[in-house]
Amino acid sequence: MSLREELEDFYAEYSEVIDGGALERWPDLFVEPCLYRIVSKENHDKGLPLSLMLCESVGMLKDRAQASKELNVYAPRAWRHSITQVRGREEGGTIAAQANFMVLESLPDQHTRILCAGRYRDTLVRTEAGLRLREKICIYDAALIPGSIVMPL
Amino acid sequence: MLVVRGEDGVIRGFLNRCAHRGVQLCQEASGHVRQFRCPYHQWTYDLDGRLMGMPFRHGVKGVGGMPAEFDFSQHGLMPIRIAVRRGGVFGSLNAQTPELEAYFGEKMLGFYDRVFDGRELRVLGYSRQRLRANWKLILENIKDTCHASLLHVFFVTFGLFRVDNPSKVRMDETGLHTALISERGRQELNEGTRQMHSFKQQLALQDPRLLDTVREFPGDATVIMHTFWPNLILQQQSNTLATRQIVARGPREFDLHWTFFGYATDDDEMTRRRLRQANLMGPGGLVSMDDGEIIERAQQSFAAAAADAAGINEMGGRDYADCDHMVTDVALRAFYRGYRNVMGL
Repeated sequence: MSLREELEDFYAEYSEVIDGGALERWPDLFVEPCLYRIVSKENHDKGLPLSLMLCESVGMLKDRAQASKELNVYAPRAWRHSITQVRGREEGGTIAAQANFMVLESLPDQHTRILCAGRYRDTLVRTEAGLRLREKICIYDAALIPGSIVMPL
Repeated sequence: MLVVRGEDGVIRGFLNRCAHRGVQLCQEASGHVRQFRCPYHQWTYDLDGRLMGMPFRHGVKGVGGMPAEFDFSQHGLMPIRIAVRRGGVFGSLNAQTPELEAYFGEKMLGFYDRVFDGRELRVLGYSRQRLRANWKLILENIKDTCHASLLHVFFVTFGLFRVDNPSKVRMDETGLHTALISERGRQELNEGTRQMHSFKQQLALQDPRLLDTVREFPGDATVIMHTFWPNLILQQQSNTLATRQIVARGPREFDLHWTFFGYATDDDEMTRRRLRQANLMGPGGLVSMDDGEIIERAQQSFAAAAADAAGINEMGGRDYADCDHMVTDVALRAFYRGYRNVMGL
């Protein structure tokens, strides 16, 4: 299996965990120490450090997953990730990967809308359980978000 | 709007519109320029908004061109009144608006100056979101003390902003500007938290650094939420400092522009703390996402409501006075009284 196929399988699983409502499994796709950020292209390009979501440990990922799943109040919705143009390069035991992402959001009584589009810049490592994320940076293109981002991208 | 710092260091504001055909001069959110040149017919303005030149003014090969009496001084950019106070920049299109200090009033100016205390500010980043709700609903939300103790699990459980903590509501005489002042409390079962369905006594963060807050302002308050009429929210929630500008887009939709900031004197640890606590706020905020969602939900039922439908804002009585607790709708009552005055309703 080529590295690209391995990554595509991993991203398929990643999408299924979030879109399928199994957010409690989302932190399992990372290994400690880890970093997860959602950042606008605007802040990223200007070198501004603010994240829309920031998790600096598996514990923070778990806190965010629990909040999204049980604690925050938001309208029921369906999410559908589309992850394309997957590429990776393996060097010294780590894989630098990038991909485009798009999240479609469907709210009750509304047409499906594009919540956001952007690119992933990820670092992965090989573990006994398969590929796992050391770092995931989600850089979204349009600064203006329709509504709220209620789950991790 | 265009806001620009001139070579003389003075900040000026203009409508972002060429005097010729009305085309937007500038499309970047921020940056550096020496002049503004409209791409359409290349009319060019200096940073003071003066029209400096245009191609073909004197015609080409002896034909055409602008009339000889065309007066450049009459065709500059449309200025906006600008006021600057300690790093905050305010604009008004209305010549009748009082000076900023008088407009805020002494009491609210004191709250503003507590955060904008003269230290150089450092922008940490921006977030923007579009909410399908009336723009007043977010002002109302920030003036609504009770909801913070009920809707938001993170505020309620970890005591960040809760009605059983020592709290105050302070308003200016119009009732339009408000400061909600409170102190962080503990994760404990008491007469207040017992009534809050969102209080989770067993909830523990896996990584408690999210709430590793430090006291950085004088006095006992650990949170002050300010609303400045008509379109500014200023928050100091523990160590997150942010402004939210409300940009109304008609009666059923508005944009919220968040600017998170700290001070130039912050050390790395303080900056990390601010960035971490920013998880509570913004379009993906562990607290703020609840607000964005709930006001859209309110707007949905307004659309279906009878014309004479009304809300109830009677918690804490029917008066409009400052008070020393948060179990009250007083800031909402005062706000809508002020709104009716402004609108002549």
